[in-house]
Amino acid sequence: MRGILEHLHTSESLLTVTDMEAGLEHLKRGTLEHAEVLLIVVEPYFKSLEAAGRIAELARGLGVPALYAVANKVRSERDEVAISDYCAARGLPVLAVVPFDADVAEAERQGVAVLDSAPEAAAVGAVRGIADGLLATNQPEREGRVAD
Amino acid sequence: MKVAVAGKGGSGKTTIAGTLARVLAQGGNRVLAIDADPNPNLAVNLGIEPETAARIEPVPHSFSHHSKNAEGRYSVGMDLSPEEIVARYGTSAPDGVTLLLVGRVESHQAGAG
Repeated sequence: MRGILEHLHTSESLLTVTDMEAGLEHLKRGTLEHAEVLLIVVEPYFKSLEAAGRIAELARGLGVPALYAVANKVRSERDEVAISDYCAARGLPVLAVVPFDADVAEAERQGVAVLDSAPEAAAVGAVRGIADGLLATNQPEREGRVAD
Repeated sequence: MKVAVAGKGGSGKTTIAGTLARVLAQGGNRVLAIDADPNPNLAVNLGIEPETAARIEPVPHSFSHHSKNAEGRYSVGMDLSPEEIVARYGTSAPDGVTLLLVGRVESHQAGAG
């Protein structure tokens, strides 16, 4: 897989979004070495936070240039604080907070994209924020504008 | 820009990856969505019909290097350019996103590590 990803990424004008294998083991194989930005999706509970911390550590070891947490399924201020505290302690910027959203769960039940079934969903709005944040951090004239 | 999305199983990483790919494409970017999960379900999150998703052929893992089989013949289909790979194996998703399935890590390629 690594060879394929490297090969595909020789095309410059292309923006790629790679959905990695769940979990951690594959990261050790170096499949992440092609990535310029890694988004680590994290839920507000201990095991998810711990997994995110380990993924961040591995990705740093592999030399991924930019790492961000994306807080997902956040139901409360307390959830948000749990994630931001954990990430702050590990020097991991939180790029976005995606709220828990019943529209996402419903889309999964139906086997459709939430962007099609509920384009105005709060979670979709938060993902639009991720896209804006990524494109902003990707500007060459970004002094002082890096999201953190 | 090359973005990867990781996370624990069930974290919602695929929903975020699929939605992000579409939103970026809606903004006028050329977007290639790559499903590198051996249990692929990015297609549905991109808005591809399940019947179409089930028929998507993954990019073979043997295209980029020459390997001789028992008869001493080279395997076919190697050395395709990225454009050729996308043209041959890409599936069109809404908003102009193209999806590629790259699936499993090839065991003989990874064997040295």
